Amino acid sequence: MALLEVRGLVKRFLGVAAVDQVDLAVEPGELVSLIGPNGSGKTTLFNCVTGYLDADGGRVLFRGRDLTGTAPHRVARLGVARTFQQVSVFPRLSALENLLVFLQQHQEEHLLARLIRTPRLHRLEAQAVDRARRLLELVGLAEKSDDAAGSLSYGQRKLLAFAGALMSDPELLLLDEPAAAVNPTMINQLKDYILGLHLQGKTIVLVEHNMDVVMDISQRVVVLDHGQKIAEGPPEAIRRDARVVEAYFGR
Amino acid sequence: MRRAVWLISGIVVVAAPWLVAAAVPRQQRYVLHVLIFTALFAALALSYDLVVGHVGSLSLAHPAFFGVGAYAAAILATEARWSFLADVVAAGLAAAVVAALVGVPLFRLAEHAFAVGTLGLALVASVVANNWVQVTRGPLCISGVPKPTLGPLAVTTLPAFYWLAVAALVAVGLLYKGLTTFRLGRAFHAVRDNEPLAAAAGIDPLKYRLVAFTIAAGLAGGVGALYVHYLSVMCPEEMTVALTVNLLVIVFLGGVGSLRGVLVGAVLFTALPEVLRLAPTWRLVIYGCLLLLVVIRSPGGIESLLRRASR
Repeated sequence: MALLEVRGLVKRFLGVAAVDQVDLAVEPGELVSLIGPNGSGKTTLFNCVTGYLDADGGRVLFRGRDLTGTAPHRVARLGVARTFQQVSVFPRLSALENLLVFLQQHQEEHLLARLIRTPRLHRLEAQAVDRARRLLELVGLAEKSDDAAGSLSYGQRKLLAFAGALMSDPELLLLDEPAAAVNPTMINQLKDYILGLHLQGKTIVLVEHNMDVVMDISQRVVVLDHGQKIAEGPPEAIRRDARVVEAYFGR
Repeated sequence: MRRAVWLISGIVVVAAPWLVAAAVPRQQRYVLHVLIFTALFAALALSYDLVVGHVGSLSLAHPAFFGVGAYAAAILATEARWSFLADVVAAGLAAAVVAALVGVPLFRLAEHAFAVGTLGLALVASVVANNWVQVTRGPLCISGVPKPTLGPLAVTTLPAFYWLAVAALVAVGLLYKGLTTFRLGRAFHAVRDNEPLAAAAGIDPLKYRLVAFTIAAGLAGGVGALYVHYLSVMCPEEMTVALTVNLLVIVFLGGVGSLRGVLVGAVLFTALPEVLRLAPTWRLVIYGCLLLLVVIRSPGGIESLLRRASR
């Protein structure tokens, strides 16, 4: 069974279909890239999957469970992590706290337990801090752990957001343009991280404009144009596909 | 160093009635009255900061919750002869229930619309207090609210009430600290800083906003109960929008989102207008100029000045 299945998804803005009857199935452990010109509906598709937008038609299934109408925080707690295109951090929290936020909601929900601070909570917190420090180390932000996230550079914030998405060890990772506006050295780093996650067996859907990244690491590429899926296949095939070339460069 | 400052402030606060008696024996009653107001205002401002400073929702409805608590306490104490503690708890619960009920529709409004919606609530509450004469006695006020008693202890003297107010402030301060640090505080701050990202982290933004709003309202209601038991009378003008202005000044010029900042703000901006009575003609002009000075010199409030100084 596919981990994520999108069936005939439709999303219209003022009558214009931003996503138009898109089908997509992602198998466990797959690394799929979603590409297409600006405005082709990639981010809208992500937003429909993660509950930020209500689809006008079609269904989204995660592990066979219908996600239609599920609020974003519930989708997240089911094990779907996402990043945002614009750098998205909590600017007034420290880098470390930014990561801690992403794990705590998966661990307990009782507000009273949080206020009383049960011993169990202190144990979980200590483990969370350990994990957060390891992830900060991984993305090279270990010595920034106490700095406010808002004081980090653009690229650093991007890496922090990426690390945040990994905190809860999600089953499905939706990355929205992780390489956009990141310098070339960092892009290579990022590519390695994503590939590393893929080798660990994570299921990843990547929206990306950087074709080097897409072609190097994806197993399968799905191409959207004007909200419709116009091609799907392994990277080499997509590179030669006439419709894709036309969508990007015109006739 | 920080411990020492807190310890010394603590001793001064507890010993204040004697210090006042020694320093200004003739004006002892008046000074203690100002100090009681300061403590009550500090507690109210801390509860307000839970919403404004920690989940980042600019609510202007705080006088309504203060008023609901004050009226609930006044009515229960005069009509039903409830004991003081039961009265405070009931007042807090009444205000919290109102907040939870109005909070659900209000939080559907985004930022500025939310502020206007809460302002509407404050105005409606004030109109109700003035006109629902059968219950609130309107402008005739509810008078004769008895002085507080704690079991066998009657809180009748000014110093006794001062200590009661300080104890309430400490309780509110401890709850404030518990709510705004560790995992709970982190979740509140995540919602304040970036709501969509907070949702992606699995936090239900509406739930956390409502929790902060409701607890803050409950605390405001409790302070309202203390207030009427102190003044022994509750009038509609105690809960006008002017109260919001005071709270905004205390919280934003003291230091939004900071325990120390709000406390310092409450002391300065409750005591200052009184101290300035020495120059009655120019009182409000000087007060206004001082406010402007803080806004211009230190937009982050007094808390940011203190931070810079301690570095």
